[in-house]
Formats: sequence, structure tokens, C-alpha cells
Amino acid sequence: MMKNSQKVERESRKKRRAPGWQMALIALFLFYMLVPIISTYVFSVATRWDRTILPEGYTLQFYEKAAQSSYFNITLRNSLILSLATVLVSLVIIVPTVYWVHTRLTRARPLLDILMILPFGIPTVVLALALVQVYNFAPLARSPLLLIGAVVVYSMPFMYRPVSNALQAIDSHTLTEAGQSLGANVLQILAEVVIPNILPGILSGSLLVFATVFAEFTLTSLIVGAKFKTFPLLLVEYTRINGNVAAAFSVISFTIAWLVSMMILWVGTKGKAASPEASSLN
Amino acid sequence: MAYLELKSVTKSYSGIDVVHDFSLDIEKGTLVSFLGPSGCGKTTTLRMIAGFEQLDDGSIQLDGSDITGVAPNRRDIGMVFQAYALFPNKTVRENISFGLRMKKTPKNEIGRKVDTVLEMVRLQETANRYPHQLSGGQQQRIALARALAVQPRVLLLDEPLSALDAEVRVVLRGEIRRIQSELAITTVYVTHDQEEALSISDKVVVMNKGIIEQVGTPEEIYRAPQTRFVATFIGTANQFMGIASGRDTVVCKNIKLFADGVKSFTDGQEVVALVRPENIQVQAEQPQRSDWNVISGIVETITFHGAVTRLAVNASGQRVVADVTVANTKPVSLNQKIWLLFPPSACQVMAAEE
Repeated sequence: MMKNSQKVERESRKKRRAPGWQMALIALFLFYMLVPIISTYVFSVATRWDRTILPEGYTLQFYEKAAQSSYFNITLRNSLILSLATVLVSLVIIVPTVYWVHTRLTRARPLLDILMILPFGIPTVVLALALVQVYNFAPLARSPLLLIGAVVVYSMPFMYRPVSNALQAIDSHTLTEAGQSLGANVLQILAEVVIPNILPGILSGSLLVFATVFAEFTLTSLIVGAKFKTFPLLLVEYTRINGNVAAAFSVISFTIAWLVSMMILWVGTKGKAASPEASSLN
Repeated sequence: MAYLELKSVTKSYSGIDVVHDFSLDIEKGTLVSFLGPSGCGKTTTLRMIAGFEQLDDGSIQLDGSDITGVAPNRRDIGMVFQAYALFPNKTVRENISFGLRMKKTPKNEIGRKVDTVLEMVRLQETANRYPHQLSGGQQQRIALARALAVQPRVLLLDEPLSALDAEVRVVLRGEIRRIQSELAITTVYVTHDQEEALSISDKVVVMNKGIIEQVGTPEEIYRAPQTRFVATFIGTANQFMGIASGRDTVVCKNIKLFADGVKSFTDGQEVVALVRPENIQVQAEQPQRSDWNVISGIVETITFHGAVTRLAVNASGQRVVADVTVANTKPVSLNQKIWLLFPPSACQVMAAEE
């Protein structure tokens, strides 16, 4: 508490001293982040944009073309299936495991922390080829199932971190014991006490995993390829055919990721409405 | 047969016994405190009663049946934690009704029982608030109410007041004792605060390094400590190291003391005589008493404690503290030569080596 307020004070003092270069830094960062996105949006509705600073004209024809693509619906559906399935599998595996390690097997936490960094250390190409080699038998070989397994591993850290941090913040160990002393079993405690209190962590984990998997290209391309074409595959395909249509696909992809994020957040805040300030326990 | 019996309970972590051969009988309806410094095994013992720690050896019996291997949620034992451990996502009412719902209590009965315990802790008005909207003291009262709502067979309190302000601590410990007596609920109370343990317990179990040093009523523990650890941990005691001589004398380096109980030691045995500061009288002139111990010394520090003033006196190299009340003592000043008086009965003699 004390430490915090001192920090805030120090920061606010800093702000007063050098607001100029701080604003410049933020502006630079926003410029860097937003320009590619804005350009993509504009490019997707531009008629011709190679001789002028701003496009010469605007049209929606590329969206029409994109929607008319025979693969549009299928790839969109596949991407949604892949992302949602991954989020679901990830939740079912990660949440109970992390909870278990936090409350019962605290010694295993360093091990889990290291395990959850590993996916970052292995190049996705290597991971994909290795998986294809090892699981070269039916029904797994080059199947969407194998792909889901692969992206679950690949995106695991994104689920693990927020969930682990949330569990840490609520002292899940003592809350569990409190629940037990009141006669509740582990499932009841998970459902009524632990999960409602780490919902913010679960939500941000789900969002990160969804966004990561929705845009995943390497694993999908190498493991299933054309057999289970996803939206990013279609997008990459179109960059070779028509840049404007590819831009339109990108915009659609952004929008879907946005919509799903909003939906998850909405579902989350609805659940949280009954429990304001769930994270206030020190 | 006692209501709650711990028989030769032993628990070790990586080869070291944190609780060793712990046997204790707790009578129904009494409040027993486990008192000791941190790391003495008191909390571990409590957690074994709750079922959160497994025993390495021994057994625990509750109301005639062995609960050693019973899961914590089937023991019917309530617990209050140092960190309150209220469910942050639930209101006070929901927190308290949680245990009742787990027990499948009928709905209308739940409401009634929640109201009863809320009234008991005098916090009816907080029923619809969330834990973070309550003060620490209020949260701990709610935690107590939550544990009591299910009418557990035993109530365990693990340093319940350690996180609270001194003032709240004193009020709340009185409340805990009042409620405990009203309900006549068998209670085990863990604390490192001797004042807390002495003021609310029927019996105090003093622990050190995983073993029981002494079990007794608060008065017994204070007036008749059986080990040097108990004597020095509970309250303050001056320690005179010396050698037993004859039937009534302890010969220290520069001082000779008359003490009761020397006769149970052999001549020449190394002993320690313990004297409580409040049993020492202070006089400015040399008193004429041959049946009491009279030691002269120089006042080194004077510390005002309110009801008493504590003097630290250098008596021929031995530091002696004495408590004087303002009412019956003339004011003393630093570096003044004074005389300390105490009867042989105020000296408790123990073997120097334990």
C-alpha cells in the first residue's frame, strides 16, 4: 500500500517534469501500431493507390469478391472451430492443473513455469514437422485433431500466465481450505469459489488464445494444409492473387477477432456482475 | 474419555519433526490455546486436527471415533483463518450460507440460521455487503459467524487476531470468548500472543520446538511454570544462574539467594532461580530483613509502562528487572543505589540444563 502510493507519487512527479517527450513517445508508439492497421483498412476499399498519397477512389468490390470466394465460408468456419476448440481444451486442461499445483503441489510450480515457456523456445516449423512425424497414424495423422493438439500446446502460455496470476492474487490455497472446512468438496469449491474469483484471468487467457489461434498460419499449413483450410491460409493465398482482396480478408479477420473478444468480455462481465471487485482480496 | 484426543501425533518435514509425540485431551465445551513462538508446531497441529495436514504417526479421535484419515470436508470441524479467507465473490449472507448449503439445509432454515449468527457477532446490518466493504475486524467476525453457522463439532482458530489492530484485537478476543462460552463449543485457539492465550483460555498448551512444554490453566502456567522455557516465554522472569547449596540456598556468581525448592536438587547441581519482576520490592534504604533476599544495585534504566514502572538494576553484574507501582514506591532516579527485596517463595528453582 505504502509502496504503491510512493510509486504513484514518483510517477506523477516524473510526468510533471517531462510531459513533452513522454507524449512524443506515446505518439510514436501509436503511429507505429496503428499505421499498418489503418493502411490495411484503407487499402481494402481503395480503387487505385500507387500514384497518390491517398487512394484515387473508394469501392467495396473487394469485399464482394472476398465474400464470393468459394472458400470464404468454409475457412471462416474452420478458423472459428479451431480457435474455439483450442480455447475450450486449453481451459479444461490448464485451469484445474494450475489450481491443483497452486493449492496442493506448490513444489511443482517452478517446473510448470518452465514448461510454459518451452512453447516459445521451439520454432513452430520444428514443432509442426515433429508432430507430423510422430503422429503419422490414423486417425491423428495430418488431421484437424492433431492440429488442435498442436495449437493447444503452442498457445498454452497465453492461458497459463493470466490464470496463474489470478490464482496467486486470490490466495486460492486458503480459500480452498475455508471451503473444505465448511463441508464443500473440490468441485464445489472450484465452481463456487475459485472460478468466479479468477474469471478475469480466465477471460484474458481465453482472449489471448483465441486471437493467437485465429491468426495461426505455420502449424495449420504444415500439419493439415489444404485438408482443413483456415482463414489465415486463405488470406495468404490471396496475397498472391489480389492484394486488395487480401486486405479485405484481413479486415474481416480483425473484425471477427474484435467481435469475439467483445463477446467473451460481455459474457465475463455478465458473470462478474454478481461479484464486483472480485479481486479485492489482498 | 475426552471429546477430542490427540494421541502421539507426529509430523515431520524432510526428516525433521515439527510436531513430536504430541498427546493431548481436550474436554467438550472448553477453549484450549496452543501458545508458542513461531515455528513451534502449533499451527501444524491445528491443521492436522482440521485435516489439512496428514499425520506421520499417531491418531486423532473426535467424540469416540477415529478421524485421522477423514477428509477435511467430512470432519464437521470449523476453522477461522488469520487472513479471514472470506469468499470475495460472495456477500456476507452468501458467505455464511455457503456451509449450510453444502450441508443441504432447507432454504428457510438457512435464512434463519444466518440471521442468528449475524446477530451473535453483532453485524446484522452487513448482510448484503461484500467482504471488501468491511473492516478487518468485521471480516473476521463474519468468518467466525460463517464457521459457527454450520454448528461444527470443533472450532479451530488459527491466529485469528494477528492481522488486526491492537484495540480491535482486545475487543474481538473478548467476543470470541463470550460466543464460545455461550455456545459451549469445543475450541482450539492458536496464538503466539501470551496475553491473548492467558486471557481467554480454559487451558493453555505451551509448545516449543514441536513438543508440549506444559499444559495447564492460565494461572498454573503463569504462577507455576514447569520449565525454564515456559517461565521465560510467559511473562518476564529474572534468571539467576547458580549452584544448589544446602536445603535453601542458590549460590550465584556474586549473589546468594534463599529459595524454596532447592532441597529437591543435589548439592553442587547447576540450577537457575527464576523471579518475576512484579514479586520484587524496591527500597531506597537498606532494609533489615534476614528471612528475605536483599540485593543492592544501581538503577540503569527506568521504563514507564503506565500501571507499573519497570526498573533495570545492575546488581553486582547481574541484571535484574523489577516492576514498581507508582502508588507504593518513592520515585527513584537513574544511577541511584537501591535495594531489591523478595521472599524465598518468589524464587522458583529449576535445573539449568533441560
